Amino acid sequence: MFACLHGSGNLMALAFEFSPVVERSAPDTVTLDASGLDRLFGLPQDVAAAIARRAAETGVKANLALASNPDAAICAARGFTGIGIVPYGDEAKFLGDLPLELLGPSPELRETLERWGIRRFRELAALPPLGIAERLGPEGLRLRELARGEAERKLTPLEEPPRFEDAIELEYPVDLLEPLAFLLARLLNGLCTRLATRALATDELRLRLQLEGRAAHERTLRLPVPSLDSKAFLKLLQLDLAAHPPGAPVVHVWMGMNPVKPRFAQSGLFIPAAPEPVKLELTLARIKAIVGEERVGSPELIDTHRPDAFRINQGQTERSPQNQGQTDLSTRRKNRALGQIRLSLALRIFRPPRAARVAVTSGRPGFIAADGIRGKVLDLAGPWRTSGDWWTSDPWSRDEWDIALSDGAVYRLYCEPRGWFVEGSYD
Amino acid sequence: MTEAYVELHARSGFSFLEGASVPEELAGACAEFGMPAMAIVDRNGVYGAPRFHMAAKKAGIRAHIGAEIDLSQVFRGTSRLSPVLMAETREGYQNLCRLITRMKLRARKGEGAATWEELAEFARGLVCMTRHPDERLLEIFGRGNVYAEIQRHYNREEEACNLATVERARRLGIPLVATNGVAYATPDRRELLDVFTCVRNKVTLATAGRLLERNSERHVKTPAEMGRLFADLPEAIGGALEISSRLAFTLADLGYEFPRYPVPEGETQISFLRKRVDEGARRRYQPYHERARRQMERELALIEKLKLPGYFLIVWDILRFCKENGILAQGRGSAANSAVCYALEITAVDPVGMDLLFERFLSEERGEWPDIDIDLPSGEKRERAIQYVYQRFGQLGAAMTANVITYRGRSAAREVGKALGFEIATLEKLAGLVHHWEWKDPKDSSEGQFHEAGFDLNHPRVRKFFELYRMAQDLPRHLGQHSGGMVICQGRLDSVVPLEPATMPGRVVVQWDKEDCADMGIIKVDLLGLGMMAVLEDCLRTIPEAYGKRVDLAHLPQDDPAVFSALQKADTIGMFQVESRAQMSCLPRMRPRCFYDIVVEVAIIRPGPIVGKMVHPYLNRRQGREAPDCLHPSLEPVLRRTLGVPLFQEQLLRMAMVAAGFTGGEAEELRRAMGFKRSEKRMADIEVKLRAGMTRNGIAGEAQDGIVRSITSFALYGFPESHAASFALIAYASAYLKCHYLAAFTCALLNNQPMGFYAPAILIKDAQRHGLRVLPADVAASDWDCTLPSRDSNGAVPHLRLGLRYARGLREEAARAILRARPFTSIDDLALRVPELRKDEINRLAEIGALNSLGRIHRRDALWQAQRAVRPVGPLLASLEEGGGPSPLAPMNTEERLRADYQGAGLTIGKHPMAYRRAEMNARGVTRAIDLAKTPNGRLVRIAGSVIVRQRPGTAKGFVFLSMEDETGIMNAIVAPPTYDLYKVVLLSEPFLMIFGVLQNLDGVISVKAARIEGLYAGAAAESHDFH
Repeated sequence: MFACLHGSGNLMALAFEFSPVVERSAPDTVTLDASGLDRLFGLPQDVAAAIARRAAETGVKANLALASNPDAAICAARGFTGIGIVPYGDEAKFLGDLPLELLGPSPELRETLERWGIRRFRELAALPPLGIAERLGPEGLRLRELARGEAERKLTPLEEPPRFEDAIELEYPVDLLEPLAFLLARLLNGLCTRLATRALATDELRLRLQLEGRAAHERTLRLPVPSLDSKAFLKLLQLDLAAHPPGAPVVHVWMGMNPVKPRFAQSGLFIPAAPEPVKLELTLARIKAIVGEERVGSPELIDTHRPDAFRINQGQTERSPQNQGQTDLSTRRKNRALGQIRLSLALRIFRPPRAARVAVTSGRPGFIAADGIRGKVLDLAGPWRTSGDWWTSDPWSRDEWDIALSDGAVYRLYCEPRGWFVEGSYD
Repeated sequence: MTEAYVELHARSGFSFLEGASVPEELAGACAEFGMPAMAIVDRNGVYGAPRFHMAAKKAGIRAHIGAEIDLSQVFRGTSRLSPVLMAETREGYQNLCRLITRMKLRARKGEGAATWEELAEFARGLVCMTRHPDERLLEIFGRGNVYAEIQRHYNREEEACNLATVERARRLGIPLVATNGVAYATPDRRELLDVFTCVRNKVTLATAGRLLERNSERHVKTPAEMGRLFADLPEAIGGALEISSRLAFTLADLGYEFPRYPVPEGETQISFLRKRVDEGARRRYQPYHERARRQMERELALIEKLKLPGYFLIVWDILRFCKENGILAQGRGSAANSAVCYALEITAVDPVGMDLLFERFLSEERGEWPDIDIDLPSGEKRERAIQYVYQRFGQLGAAMTANVITYRGRSAAREVGKALGFEIATLEKLAGLVHHWEWKDPKDSSEGQFHEAGFDLNHPRVRKFFELYRMAQDLPRHLGQHSGGMVICQGRLDSVVPLEPATMPGRVVVQWDKEDCADMGIIKVDLLGLGMMAVLEDCLRTIPEAYGKRVDLAHLPQDDPAVFSALQKADTIGMFQVESRAQMSCLPRMRPRCFYDIVVEVAIIRPGPIVGKMVHPYLNRRQGREAPDCLHPSLEPVLRRTLGVPLFQEQLLRMAMVAAGFTGGEAEELRRAMGFKRSEKRMADIEVKLRAGMTRNGIAGEAQDGIVRSITSFALYGFPESHAASFALIAYASAYLKCHYLAAFTCALLNNQPMGFYAPAILIKDAQRHGLRVLPADVAASDWDCTLPSRDSNGAVPHLRLGLRYARGLREEAARAILRARPFTSIDDLALRVPELRKDEINRLAEIGALNSLGRIHRRDALWQAQRAVRPVGPLLASLEEGGGPSPLAPMNTEERLRADYQGAGLTIGKHPMAYRRAEMNARGVTRAIDLAKTPNGRLVRIAGSVIVRQRPGTAKGFVFLSMEDETGIMNAIVAPPTYDLYKVVLLSEPFLMIFGVLQNLDGVISVKAARIEGLYAGAAAESHDFH
């Protein structure tokens, strides 16, 4: 005997309460092997009643059907609301009124059956098997078997996935990072050992701290490459907690790791050895702790006319040696192309640019004064005009000038709606 | 000091997505800044040249013509070298056109680049301007004809290049020239150019990066501004002025000549034409009376004077080709005003007999070429005529006119939205806002629409969208092909305008559209496809065989009672020009009694007379409710036949001629002054002239005011009488054929779909109501087309057999294979011997009952067998195969059969779906279509049927007109705007409707004024034709 649950709620958990052999037939459908339950509960009606009662208790809202084969149970659970018990031997009659869409035929088959005027289980069940085999092939035959409630098969049971989680209930609240680190190390060692025995590693650590006063503090660390380095993990967690300390003493610690296959990479003979990824991550985490998270990464030029536009790419640390080689090459090539159009003069950029006061004569800067710079404009080139991003809320427009000042230096000066700035000096 | 400067490098929107202003805007900016001239140089073409030329003429500046030519050689690994070539002389222009033609015809549509050799071949008469001067160009164009171009857009890298250019130019001794590389007229258009860049590169603004413009400096700049920019290089500005002074060529000096017809030795064009006209006139006019003779002579004299005999002979030649090859052809439009055209059998209306006005066609004062449009059967026959013209004048001697596809509501919305990076769903919503209902609610201004659809115009991105959407309107998107306009040239057309390949293989198009060609004085012949011509031709072919009679369209009985009775009852489905709902509602009031009534009927139901409020006065006078009023006794001969209501353009011209003593040419000028592009000043001038003339002729006071009023209010909308007469001839012929040869006519209509106002399902039902027997499509008996099976021995009325073309999804090649392999013993036999037949096709045939005759089975049996036939089981199960007996499937019920019919063939030859529900309808108090005529006016009625047409015409102030069909006929309902708003969803989505309202039954015109509308579930129905 098989039972099928079709609906919403934690169907899997409910099914596992009644049977170790459970199949997830569809995201909203779970089928279980109910044989033997009669010895516990009695008649099929009683088995159904027991499951339904438990469903009500656990908040599962689902149709339930019992039948002698899994597919009949699935059809009945999908087709009828409430509880359905498909009588043994009378499956075809019981299911006869159901619409064929329930069986999910392929679009082509659906079209053919629609053309034939075959819309319900009963009509398909009545067609001769040989005729079906000739016209619709194996899929047609299988559909006919399903429509007759005669399809026999084994369930494809689901195994519970191994979980890599652990928790420690504390006897007294911990309010210092050091004793907490000690506890974390215990959890990390245990979990890493468990992963290692299954030849797995992790790329994500989840930490959930229960605080005094029922509040919770959750942190998730994502690693660029899978690793099992518990010491490094501990250091990372410490740095993270130092940056984001919990708001109250900790009473319960839970830790979970995401199991993934470890990655092995061979470094190239002629490629300089890169720092070990986890170590690098650790170093970056330390830097981030000092300068702030959003300021760490590799700068990248943006494809725009906007002067000096770049962004910090934070996901750049993960790179396989081969890729690294290629990227370097292509970057070099790109730089060469840029080099062709770049003037040979080098510009030292002031960061941030220095605000300037400018005396304008006949539309051109005549005298400027800025922090550390002051003088009369002897010669100039410009304006060099750019504008863009006009479709965004942050459009820009600016006029640049290259100016030779009476102090003997050559500067780049620009004017934008916010005012005048000296951007840098030419060597 | 006043600065002088001429912009020599301006790209317009005709560089297709590389320029963001139309030529008129560029010319306007140029004139505003006091520039004496400007050169328009679009990429690889002179697409915008005629419009620029006309705009420049108006603005009082000189228009230089040139083009940026892509060279096939790639420059510095990235960009193409694109020198600007400008026409100095006519020879230069011709060379430019030939160069472009050569490179375009070699490449795929929209591509092409010239080689150095081609550049050398066509270099004479051209001035070359380049940013990369080198010895090679110098060698090709010669010293003095190459200039080094410098542009300054406040760009550091560009300035570095300029330094190199100046240096190289000085080394080579090449003069400098300053340009601004203009791509738009005003700085704000830069945003649109950025959007176009995105469209061209298929990216969004956010991802386009450095493809976009660096700044907004490529606009038309003032001479002073340019002078400031090039203060350090004054010789560059001087270079621009020097080139401009050299470029003597303008499009006024195009050198176009219409081809001469090759006449036998000893003949001249005119003498040969005279002979042909004389021959024709003797055939047409029996006897060839004096009036006709005089008219011929007058026309021929003018034709000779205007040097047009070649044109008439060429059109005559095309018509002769059609006649010799069995292609029905008839001239339409103003050509029907010409007795010469009538004699040459170009047109079929006798202008002398009908007293038509020749000046409407051709007049000396007008300085414009005549325009002859020829209607041909659509499809393959028309293609043959077109190919004949190509063959006769050579690939470089004739071409189709282009059709410039511009950004319109929907396309502009979609592409601007895409560039702004809107989501697909948002895009669809935005594009959907620009719907194609003809009528626009005044509240429906675009702002209102956007607001209604949930877009906030205060949101910056939406506002930007809206601005750009407006800017993009009417800018060219790409070049298409005009449906039938052909231009022909004496000698080589490719030296008048560049030619390029069309999407359709074997076709060549010129770079200018119809209006441009007309503006440039290039003569054209329109070879238009007309579905009804194909129908008439088919009828002429099938009638002798099916009816044993012969029909001659030129000699149809003129006053056939059956035809006029059908017209008077508005029983006109399928008839040319008189079948629309609007025509049908006019016919019972009009009650046509003679051919001329049909001419009026064709002309009166047009937006013109409707908007000009001519319809009701005419109908009232016709029905005797109003007395005819000809405004002034002298106008009576002109207006008498239309009961004093001016309906035709010819009448307008004659009114001016009779009342104010205008000459034919002056009258035509009046018509044009009043036409679509009205100019207040021109109108005022003409009115003064008109009044003066009338006063001279003794027409004053109220009569004068009345005439002026009627001329000015009407001029805009008139319809040429000659054109109406040509169409009326076809309408009469179609009506005659429908009334007397229904089977042949319906058959031809069905074989030439899509055409006309009604879907095949409606045509069939109408024919059946008129007693035509229609047989289903059948693989054993049908052809690809619908046919008239040969009459049986007892000589019954011909009936119609539906063709296999009505099995949707069946390919013609598969159907032809069936015809070749016939007869079949069973469905298996069919599948076996016609391997071309795909599974879906055989299923389709089974579904619509076309296989039923193979074994006297029902459709489901056929489906059951067909399914096996296309899926052989193989040797293992072969011994188990069942025979071809009945299937276990149940036959289709009525609703299933109707659904299969409509889905599989688009029509049913069985009973109308409403017939099956008649009992229920009777119980609900529904009146049948046929009974409405007997129901008195003003009675509350309920009607129900399938919707066949929904219309919301532009002239009807938001009213919606519905036509519905039941098994007894067609009924009309009118939905007023408030009712429409209330029932919009039901009205637009339900295939069957029940309408409750007041019956209007006046003068035989029957409609129901809808008060309540509900959907009616009735299963399958034919698709309706909506929103014409």
